[in-house]
Amino acid sequence: MTKCEDVQTRLSDFADGLLAPDEHAVLLRHVRECADCSGVLSDLERLRSTARHLGTVPPPEHLWLEIAGQIRQSQRSGLASPSRPSPQRRAAWQWIGLSAALLAITTAVYFFGRSPAQPIATANTAAPGGSMQVVADELSLAMQHYDRAIAELELAAGADKSEMDPAVSATLQRSLGSIDSAISESRAALLSNPDSGPARDSLFEALRRKVSVLQATVSLINEMRQGDPAGATRAMEGLGRQS
Amino acid sequence: MGRVEAEDLLQDMFLTAHRKLGLYRGESALGTWLFRLGTNLCLDHLRSRSGRFSALQDGLDDDLPASTSSGPVLGVIDRLDLERALTTLPAGARTVFVLHDVEGLEHREVAELLGVSEGTSKSQLHKARFRLRSALNPTATKAAR
Repeated sequence: MTKCEDVQTRLSDFADGLLAPDEHAVLLRHVRECADCSGVLSDLERLRSTARHLGTVPPPEHLWLEIAGQIRQSQRSGLASPSRPSPQRRAAWQWIGLSAALLAITTAVYFFGRSPAQPIATANTAAPGGSMQVVADELSLAMQHYDRAIAELELAAGADKSEMDPAVSATLQRSLGSIDSAISESRAALLSNPDSGPARDSLFEALRRKVSVLQATVSLINEMRQGDPAGATRAMEGLGRQS
Repeated sequence: MGRVEAEDLLQDMFLTAHRKLGLYRGESALGTWLFRLGTNLCLDHLRSRSGRFSALQDGLDDDLPASTSSGPVLGVIDRLDLERALTTLPAGARTVFVLHDVEGLEHREVAELLGVSEGTSKSQLHKARFRLRSALNPTATKAAR
């Protein structure tokens, strides 16, 4: 008689149809007669089905604009890699780079500064030795950098908004308005409860969205400057998705 | 790997693909070629981070887990729960599960990408699935003890 323990070591390959015909037949006979192994097989098939539908995580729209911009730069300069951007655009790209770095710093400090096994410390369970204070200080610094980067991006975007279609400009203002409301609400929530994980998550998500919208705006302005209507259309669609 | 890191690697991948498009010979579908390029870029990135890639390699040779409790224990699996449970897997098992069950690669392709045997890929997938089954319904393993 086939032991369940032996059968279950082969159930993964059985579920994937990878067994030789004779072995497949033996396991099939066992699974039909054994409720336990049949249940395990059912679980494995359910896992496979769910995993298949996990799907991909779509990248933000502005990413395609940045890739297209860098490829276009390399084509114009005839170099294998993107050339140094013009002085007017360098400032915008510097701030985009800084924003990406800020996101990485914030993510690293907040999400990876603690191990998965450790929950976020509350006021009652804060770790001794000031380690939570260090994290809080780092987060405060990260927020200050965010604010400065957003201010610079707004300057870069705002200086040339006059070139933008009025309808697009109005959409942009509405988007930024709703994001700014979310930022204000999250900051207020954090002020009243500094240890609130959801408020912190909400604030950083809103800051991330604002940076993304501003990045897409700068990309749109660049596309319009280059006289690329198709690129500008894609950028506007990207702004719509970011909002 | 965080989202920003993933976005940076995505940019690098497409810029590299643009530079190397002349090397694409049509032996596989363009999507497959891009996928391999992206996977190799990610693996190289992991190798450059101290300790992370060694964990990926070490996990691939671990013993299979003992048989877990029997009978169906999983109901409808919430996608978020599965994503969370994935983070509890050892790096090697998680990598194989994602490549095979999520991305749909065959064991031959997984083995080639990771530089291991097909047998190792199959055993790691088996390990991943049973650990996920346990993680998604821990009461089942408690009842079996």
